[in-house]
Amino acid sequence: MNIVGWFLDPAQWTGPDSIPVQVGYHLLYSGIALLIALAIAVPLGVYIGYTGRGELFVSGVANALRALPTFGLLVLVVMLVAPHIGSQLAFVGPTIVVLVLLAVPPILAGTVAGIQGADPGAVGAARATGYTRPQILLHVQVPCALPLFLSGVRNATLQIVSTATVAAYVSLKGLGRYIIDGRASSDYEQMAAGAVLVAIVALALELAFLALGRAVVSPGLTRASAPSLRRARAGRQGPVPRITPIPPSSTSSPREATP
Amino acid sequence: MITFEHVSKVYPDGTHAVHDLTFDAPNGRLTVLVGPSGCGKTTSMRMINRLIDPTEGVVSLDGQDTRSVDAIDLRRKIGYVIQSAGLFPHRTVVDNVAALPRLLGAGKKEARSRALELLAKVGLDERYARRYPYQLSGGQQQRVGVARALATDPPFLLMDEPFSAVDPVVRTQLQDSFLQLQRDIGKTIVMVTHDIDEALKLGDQVAVFREGGTLAQVATPAELLAHPADAFVADFVGASRGYRALGFVEATATVELADEVTVRVGARPADVVGDAWCVVVDDADAPLGWVDLRAARDVVEERQIDFSGTVARADGSLRDLLDAALSSPTGRGLVAGPGGRLRGSVTADEVLRHIAREREAGVAS
Repeated sequence: MNIVGWFLDPAQWTGPDSIPVQVGYHLLYSGIALLIALAIAVPLGVYIGYTGRGELFVSGVANALRALPTFGLLVLVVMLVAPHIGSQLAFVGPTIVVLVLLAVPPILAGTVAGIQGADPGAVGAARATGYTRPQILLHVQVPCALPLFLSGVRNATLQIVSTATVAAYVSLKGLGRYIIDGRASSDYEQMAAGAVLVAIVALALELAFLALGRAVVSPGLTRASAPSLRRARAGRQGPVPRITPIPPSSTSSPREATP
Repeated sequence: MITFEHVSKVYPDGTHAVHDLTFDAPNGRLTVLVGPSGCGKTTSMRMINRLIDPTEGVVSLDGQDTRSVDAIDLRRKIGYVIQSAGLFPHRTVVDNVAALPRLLGAGKKEARSRALELLAKVGLDERYARRYPYQLSGGQQQRVGVARALATDPPFLLMDEPFSAVDPVVRTQLQDSFLQLQRDIGKTIVMVTHDIDEALKLGDQVAVFREGGTLAQVATPAELLAHPADAFVADFVGASRGYRALGFVEATATVELADEVTVRVGARPADVVGDAWCVVVDDADAPLGWVDLRAARDVVEERQIDFSGTVARADGSLRDLLDAALSSPTGRGLVAGPGGRLRGSVTADEVLRHIAREREAGVAS
């Protein structure tokens, strides 16, 4: 088996079924599914996290959705829809639907947990000093929720990208083509190459999320990134002083406080 | 002035959190609410900015019923410091302080420069301004919490056990620097604590709560120590009340000070009349401790100094004077004037005679 040879074959890089085109379609289906999932899960998650209402409902539905077999569901939806829609949409639509169902639970869980997990002290202080509820949500809870929210979106994205291969089963494009077609023609090199391509795309997205997290999440929340922050600052303006206790402002002994 | 008039809070399950509470927190003063846990002190404080609404009675600010004001507007007039600081973890220290002014429409630059001033005021070095809360110690976070509460310069300030989450040494530092700050800013403050010593140390006025949400006594710390209203207050205020009460009695000029022979480190002691002890002073004539001349025949060396005695300030309290006398190896407590120069010494006997004289004068008048 010669996967490298398969990749080096110029035929794979040009034409309507080339690698770039298949990656493009794969990302297109994944991206549409992710956007729809975000549009559903984020408002719902914010609402539930904010009001505390419907938590049980959500965790139940989320678990049920996770348990659904994607493949079986896809076939079912296509069979239901295809007789009524003539175009390509009869296949694209169901594919997107199953991917959305896959992506909603992790985004929803991350959003709810993030909003509810915001430091109660910070929320309490905001409330006590005259932040309105929407202001608390916007200025305290949402920024504090970002790390968990992003990790939910990342999970969802990786699940979508690895599962989007099923599109090929209902005759659509995408990286699943290599796996399905390779299987049909016993071309194991092609199958393996498809798997490798999916893995590469997933890895690239993982890196993109890492960068996104660094860019949008406050270093105050992701304590782990603090050393790099410190190094960056040290480079700019000399070493940052170590944290030292403030010198006592009075000479009185602690015994006076607790005789 | 914050006024409570027959305020009660009864929860739907019938629990009386606060029962018929009536008292004033005067303007510019620090009123401490103190009591055992579950006594309703925190509930009472939270009714001031309507985090909790009373079921009966009226809470008013400078004569205005708090229920006639929008809760959000009301809270923006009242600074709030909570126990664990409650800083926004995603904002830097300076932006934590600037957050509320920014929310209310202040420009970024203006809010930040004001925040830096406030941080300096609460004793936090400017180099901490760009850090995140998790990079600060508990005491430093609490200082930021105080600065944040003052950011909009509210006339009122509520403090919910502000110094209880830090160790005793840091707590004392925070208390002392907060007292200094309050002398400067003169806010109308209501503070909740379960620590009676903190209440007596910080409060201009102390309101002692008992279980069941009733008020046991409202008085100045000295009054509370000298005249507890009942057995509960006496017990809550605790032991050694007589001694601690001296902490609120200023030493007056009628306390007679004795002169002491002094010597500097490295100098040859003069002949001393009486016992062989002599006060060692530094170059500014501030007392360092005592030296036993029987051990120092030639020149006085630093290792020969006995540092055990405390030094009282001439304008300090009788408790300071008595403590200086009791802790001194010679029985003579060292007293320093403003600027730290040695004024003389005082014995425990003299302090007690002074107390007796004052009592007689009090009885006579």
